[in-house]
Amino acid sequence: MEETIQNKPVKPQAEAAAAPAKPAVVPEAVPAENLVVSTLVEPEKLHGEMLRLKNEEGMDFLELITGEDWGEEGLGCVYNLWSTTTGKRAYIKAVAKDRENPFLPTVSDLWDIANIYEREVFDFYGIRFLGHPDMRRVFLREDWVGYPMRKDDKPEEQNDLRMNNFVYADKTTQYDCDADGQVHETEHIVFSPEDYVVNIGPQHPSTHGVLHFRVALEGERIKKIDPILGYIHRGIEKLNESYTYPQTLALTDRMDYLGAMQSRHALCMAIEKAAGIEVSERVQYVRTIMDELQRIDSHILFFSCLCQDMGATTAFLYGFRDRERVLDIFEETCGGRLILNYNMIGGLAHDIHPDFQKHVKAFIPYMRKNIKEYYDIFINNVIARNRLIGVGVLSKEDVISGGCTGPTGRASGWSNDVRKHAPYATYDKVEFSEVLRTEGDSYARLLNRMDEIEQSLHIIEQLVDNIPEGTYQTKTKPIIKLPEGTYYSAVEGSRGEFGVFVESKGDKSPYRMHYRSTGLPLVAIMDKACRDELIADMMAINGTLDYVVPDIDR
Amino acid sequence: MENNNYIQGLFGGLKTLCVGLKTTMREFFTKKITEQYPENRETLVMFDRFRGSLVMPHNEENEHKCIACGLCMTNCPNGSITVTSRTEEVDGKKKKVLDKYIYDQGICMYCMVCVRVCPQNAIDFDQSFENAVFDRSKLIKQLNQPGSKCQERKPVAKPAAPKPAAIETSNNQ
Amino acid sequence: MFDLQNWTTALHEWMLGILPEWAAILIESVLVALIIITLYAVFAIVLIYLERKICAFFQCRLGPNRVGKWGLLQVFSDVFKMLQKEIIRMRKSDRFLHDLAPYLVVTASMLTFACLPWNKGGHIIDFNIGIFFMLAVSSIGVVGILLAGLGSNSKYPMIGAMRAGAQLISYEISIGLTMLTMVALTGTMQISEIVQQQYDNGWNIIRGHIPALIAFIVYLIAGNAECNRGPFDLPEGESELTAGYHTEYSGMHFGYYYLAEYLNLFIAAGIASTIFLGGWAPLHIAGLDGFNGVMDLIPGFVWFVGKTFFVVLLLMWERWTFPRLRIDHILSLEWKYLMPISLFNLLLMALVVVLGLGININ
Repeated sequence: MEETIQNKPVKPQAEAAAAPAKPAVVPEAVPAENLVVSTLVEPEKLHGEMLRLKNEEGMDFLELITGEDWGEEGLGCVYNLWSTTTGKRAYIKAVAKDRENPFLPTVSDLWDIANIYEREVFDFYGIRFLGHPDMRRVFLREDWVGYPMRKDDKPEEQNDLRMNNFVYADKTTQYDCDADGQVHETEHIVFSPEDYVVNIGPQHPSTHGVLHFRVALEGERIKKIDPILGYIHRGIEKLNESYTYPQTLALTDRMDYLGAMQSRHALCMAIEKAAGIEVSERVQYVRTIMDELQRIDSHILFFSCLCQDMGATTAFLYGFRDRERVLDIFEETCGGRLILNYNMIGGLAHDIHPDFQKHVKAFIPYMRKNIKEYYDIFINNVIARNRLIGVGVLSKEDVISGGCTGPTGRASGWSNDVRKHAPYATYDKVEFSEVLRTEGDSYARLLNRMDEIEQSLHIIEQLVDNIPEGTYQTKTKPIIKLPEGTYYSAVEGSRGEFGVFVESKGDKSPYRMHYRSTGLPLVAIMDKACRDELIADMMAINGTLDYVVPDIDR
Repeated sequence: MENNNYIQGLFGGLKTLCVGLKTTMREFFTKKITEQYPENRETLVMFDRFRGSLVMPHNEENEHKCIACGLCMTNCPNGSITVTSRTEEVDGKKKKVLDKYIYDQGICMYCMVCVRVCPQNAIDFDQSFENAVFDRSKLIKQLNQPGSKCQERKPVAKPAAPKPAAIETSNNQ
Repeated sequence: MFDLQNWTTALHEWMLGILPEWAAILIESVLVALIIITLYAVFAIVLIYLERKICAFFQCRLGPNRVGKWGLLQVFSDVFKMLQKEIIRMRKSDRFLHDLAPYLVVTASMLTFACLPWNKGGHIIDFNIGIFFMLAVSSIGVVGILLAGLGSNSKYPMIGAMRAGAQLISYEISIGLTMLTMVALTGTMQISEIVQQQYDNGWNIIRGHIPALIAFIVYLIAGNAECNRGPFDLPEGESELTAGYHTEYSGMHFGYYYLAEYLNLFIAAGIASTIFLGGWAPLHIAGLDGFNGVMDLIPGFVWFVGKTFFVVLLLMWERWTFPRLRIDHILSLEWKYLMPISLFNLLLMALVVVLGLGININ
């Protein structure tokens, strides 16, 4: 490694401050590879255009809807579309000019996932979607005043600390626009008074966090599930708008705490690509290994929690025993177990620990041995098989329309691995297979994750001895500014595609930073997956969908 | 045929149950993984890079390296650092020196931004982890020791005392 | 063999000497009741401690080890904590039913507890339809569980109670059939007589060999289900129903459910050891008279408790291995597997008895 790094400790910014003459590596003229060029579509034509893109150009996956406040220009959305057949992406932008009464047409009839994404936009920006069947707030309380992500909103002034309970409305509103441009309201019923509605959560052992489902039951059969989110929403996206780019890094670890490494990787990658910061080969290797370790960690925890939900407490602790090994590796190199704080813009916080390779190499055979125990005690067990096989079946169409990426989507036969389709870091240099199954049931989701652990071990095995020499931290400017524009980068997180959408106005803080949460689609599809299943199956299904609540409530 | 499935299912199922029983019985006799804290305090050593709480290392002459530039304060996302400085006259020149370095551990999120931006390596995280207190006000700490002063910076920059993390990195290369 | 009856008869006669008969019987009854309740509490504490330790060892942990040496006082402190806790009344709950339910559960469990043959001559309730009585009183518990669900005015307990009703009533069939199988072998329903036969002729599990072994396994499964213990713990399946039928109970009312759960485990194991493993009858091996003599020196009480704890360990081993079943799987296990097997087994046992194929050590 370079002399300078050897003698001086980790102070890239300070060093850069001492030598400010160095220009950025990439000239400004070349557009960043993750630059988003979006097509502006008139609101009236939006639905037709989306329908055309979906049917004619095969853009069957709605990746993300990002609500935005463009000030004078109005409020609006950016739609990220992706084609599962060609792998092409399209970005559509729609603006509602009237800030007082913004309306956009819904696309929730085209994609299931748009339902919850549009509710999120409505919640934070107040854009009403015409034709959307369920225009309720999704994260904030129903009695919240204002739309906090608007640049001119003053949430503290409009909302006192309310100490009253409130009853969730059983009604919801649909807005429709007729030919004269008149907007009509239609009421829909969420739960009727005859429904036997049970609250699962927000304090419940198997919602894996502060998540609330209202479940209508018919005996033990589930008639309908209505997820209520936002109990631990921290407004990370709003906070990011006032943070500098290095500061925003601190919050990604706190979203999907089982995908901390990958989320932060995505954010770093988005900023690095946008700002034209090159990272060394060494960093890419280490990031890949860390991402895969994180995936193993997450999948072990998934197994443990599933066992716990299914009453196999012993298997739960076996998983935790093995996860401890991964966490020790993390702690040694990163200094943290859950909040890792490892990826930095342009590199890593520390170089890998001298014992890192030794410990990782010891872990691989250990994990291979112990994964057999998982099969013995739980996965092959007749009780577990009976409870998982054929339960919560999602078809390929369901998962694509519902945006369920990751192992959940792959269990239904949807090839969506970002590592394969848009390789980043060193994924194009390693040999691994994308685990696909077609059953789409809970058991397939479980087996998929178990196989992914083995694939991850295989990836790590290929990389751990070949980490090239190089700097672990590229020098960056003291103040990082992204050139004006919109950027999107995605990685394969532990439970699906994790994307970072950044809009920059050239300042040191992002104008808008939106994350494609991996868990939100998984919660949104709960209703479909659990319909007509038993209440005990709901635990198996939400166990195998494997969402992490802080990632949903960003 | 259906009968056959019934019998096969019964015995196949019983077999998997027995495999499970065998697994747990084997684990019954393996070494237990429980960490006996606090009895193991002596042997419980945190990793060097573990972030316990923010400290300002002082040398034997009660000198720290902070020049009160306030970069850490402005960069902290949570505002958990407050640096106050005073002006002192040294050799006829006015000089800004550190008065108080207040660190509120209660709102620190250990993101390391402060340590990374510090141009002087004046602050670092230690490995203490028993940070529980009964009163939140005890988490607000003054990091510069009473009576301490800033280390003289020699014109010829001698290599600053590297942090533990940095020692490892150089060992690795 | 040590016979407790000599002592009790002596005590009774001494009492008759100084008191009228009604007073003597009254005092004896009170004494016996006190003994049962004490034993009940002691065994509950032992079992809870045992369960926590054993479960920990299966899970690569150490279990409680902070209160007292090896955590021995942990359960006592838990009990004291529970005694201090407030009993919370739920709004709009049916006070009477809500409060009655735990007592029903604990009464049923104590009555069954009293049927166990502790020693030769150490039966508390013993008459010619003992097995029948035991089955009858153990079924009262399900009423308590149903009332708990009904009286709580809460949704989780309601679902839990309904599950418990379906489950417990179904599994009583298997229990009844296995008992019937063994009654067919012994030809008596009197518990003392059943054990005495096993003392004379060898343990039932050896006497009845194949059908008795099948009956034993079926009984263990069904008995476990009757106790609402994992993998059949879905009436209180914590991952879906938080705590099932006792969600709304607090303090000692919850404590009663907790006690009854562990004691039911002990009772299920105790019945298994009575009917299959010879109760207080020591281990005899035909032809080894010296060995048999030594075995006879160990008091019957020790034999009975030892065998019971052996069965308890089996049940705990299984409980901490398997995932929980789903309600329809539980019912199909009973109606499609256990009940047909038990019926077939009863037939087998009848053949064994009629054709005289049983093994008799004497």
